Amino acid sequence: MAAGGTGGRTYSFKVVLLGEGCVGKTSLVLRYCENKFNDKHITTLQASFLTKKLNITGKRVNLAIWDTAGQERFHALGPIYYRDSNGAVLVYDITDEDSFQKVKNWVKELRKMLGNEICLCIVGNKIDLDKDRHVSVEEAESYAESVGAKHYHSSAKLNKGIEELFLDLCKRMMETAQAEERLKGNGASQSASSRRGVQIVDDEPQATPAGGCCSSG
Amino acid sequence: MSQRTERRGGIHVDQSDLLCKKGCGYYGNAGWLGLCSKCWREDYQRVRQKQIQDDWALAEKLQREEEAAYASSHGAQTQSQSTAPQPHPGHASLGPFSKFEEKKTNEKTRKVTTVKKFFSPSSRTAPKKETPEGKTPSPSVSRRASFDTDQVTKDFADFLKNLHKPGREIQKQCRAFIVNMSGKKDLGADELSECVQDFYQNLADRLMGHFKGSSESVEQVMDQVEKYIMTRLYKSVFCPETTDDEKKDLATQNRIRALHWVTIEMLCVSMDEEIPEVSENVVKAITDVIEMDSKRVPRDKLGCITHCSKQIFSAIRTTKNEPASADDFLPALIYIVLKANPPRLQSNILYITRFCNPSRLMTGEDGYYFTNLCCAAAFIEKLDAQSLNLSPEEFERYMSGQASPRCNSSEGDWTRAEPPPAPVNPVLAQLNHNLEVLSGLSSRQETLMEAAQSLQADLLSWPGSVQREVDDVLAKYPLEVPSRTVSAIDDNDVDNDNLPPPLTPQVFAG
Repeated sequence: MAAGGTGGRTYSFKVVLLGEGCVGKTSLVLRYCENKFNDKHITTLQASFLTKKLNITGKRVNLAIWDTAGQERFHALGPIYYRDSNGAVLVYDITDEDSFQKVKNWVKELRKMLGNEICLCIVGNKIDLDKDRHVSVEEAESYAESVGAKHYHSSAKLNKGIEELFLDLCKRMMETAQAEERLKGNGASQSASSRRGVQIVDDEPQATPAGGCCSSG
Repeated sequence: MSQRTERRGGIHVDQSDLLCKKGCGYYGNAGWLGLCSKCWREDYQRVRQKQIQDDWALAEKLQREEEAAYASSHGAQTQSQSTAPQPHPGHASLGPFSKFEEKKTNEKTRKVTTVKKFFSPSSRTAPKKETPEGKTPSPSVSRRASFDTDQVTKDFADFLKNLHKPGREIQKQCRAFIVNMSGKKDLGADELSECVQDFYQNLADRLMGHFKGSSESVEQVMDQVEKYIMTRLYKSVFCPETTDDEKKDLATQNRIRALHWVTIEMLCVSMDEEIPEVSENVVKAITDVIEMDSKRVPRDKLGCITHCSKQIFSAIRTTKNEPASADDFLPALIYIVLKANPPRLQSNILYITRFCNPSRLMTGEDGYYFTNLCCAAAFIEKLDAQSLNLSPEEFERYMSGQASPRCNSSEGDWTRAEPPPAPVNPVLAQLNHNLEVLSGLSSRQETLMEAAQSLQADLLSWPGSVQREVDDVLAKYPLEVPSRTVSAIDDNDVDNDNLPPPLTPQVFAG
């Protein structure tokens, strides 16, 4: 029945990158999308909006990663950025206690404004500087768990943990999207969900084969 | 004239070739397919009128089909009007007032009324009435606009021809929708937005489900649909009169004007305008963001924003030699917006938000840049001393125009090397000159005021001094009035007592 005989659906997700300036948001996303770090040969003109195409358990995912301005004076503009996003990557610098505090503020604000619709991922960046660590692993991980977020350690410099965190985030966003769809009784009433930004392209409105990608844990 | 020059050039042109093809005896013109101006106009009007009539025939047919739905929505409309009568008179009184305020309101209302006429019931029943209006020499702006609309309609039809059956369906749906929308002029902007968005959604769903289009082709079709619909609806839904969009525009415009003193350093923008390439990029970015207002289709407006952003990115890339992050981009965009003061910024933002195809706005690259523009607008609106790293006093002084950052810095550095900037910038020189004149005037006014005050004091003290003088004089020379000695001859009884009694006459016998 499917016209193109392709996998059937394509997910489009919007992910915002939040965090103080200088925690390495841009390096993180450049490493993820271009696999480059502090490279003079980076061809992209900008690192504020990047996309990545993924294929997770046979389903196509288009990821749009929105970088946000981290300066304190732009903090109030946050809601304009994270409106309609499916996921948020909250980055802090493990050598900077303040940046972790900022992450906590962001989490509080996101949960207040968007509830549980948004998948959160807290990332402690710069683990290559572990000797200067100022945020303890236990504290960060227990905090993440308490707010229903996943915690990851990463290093854009050493290319560690980045692939994993985005993959996990995508899987969780897919689950959320599917759950939402099931709630809506899938089919004609997709208008609300697609207005929110999740464009579900489906050839045949039928029950989703659930459980294909629930590899959390 | 042209005929003569052609002969001189050695090209032989037969006289009969130059005449109107209709044989009316006048000269024809290649631009008018060899007809004279009169015959061409006749022909053109006939074709145009036929097209209009066809359009209306179709529209009427569709209207009849949808009559039930239309009537019910119309009923709901009147009901909502009757339930909330207050806002209307208020708005009506506001309308003419804002007309005085800005010329463009005037222009806009005129446009809207012509569109209304076009769709009004009278012209629907008698489409012939349309022709004299078409003939009247309309201002070039609206003529160009209608030309654009015609062009878009034609392009759209051409595009749909390739789609065969779905194409006809799409065309039918779009026309019906536009006719339907024309009956909903009085709805608020949000309702209009809702209608358009629902239409996008339904059509996309239908294309996807019914015609089994791939997502790319559906997207392509939806782009064309958006272009067609929004070009047709633009006049009635851009900055509609039911909203206060225009007031917001004016507020933003004034706000940006008031912030003219904000420098690139205050915003911490990582663009070095000393580099010629960068300053070129900045100029182009400013042009792009200003150009946005001239586009009608939301997607084209987004395109302008994207172009502007790309220019900013290359400026940052040239300056910093690394890809621009959002930390660099947003301040730069704010700076560009402040410098450009794009016309009708708020209206444009709201128009895009309301009528752009949502799939593009939410996740696409264009959407990202648009979001940043929204952020820039919000930042400018809320901008305070803290967001520029200034003290509140400094901010106040700059805002009130008492000081400007450059003049302020010159207070300290005046002795060192300040004279150069004056000749560099003629506007600044003029400004300084004006400031001098103003300060001269103010000092003169002050002396005048002082003189006036002393005069007043003099006037107040004068009666007192006069009084004192008079008193002094009175004290020095007291008025000695000698006591009056009243001499009455007969009234004095006092002396009478001393007098011997009057002699009594004695009678002597003799």
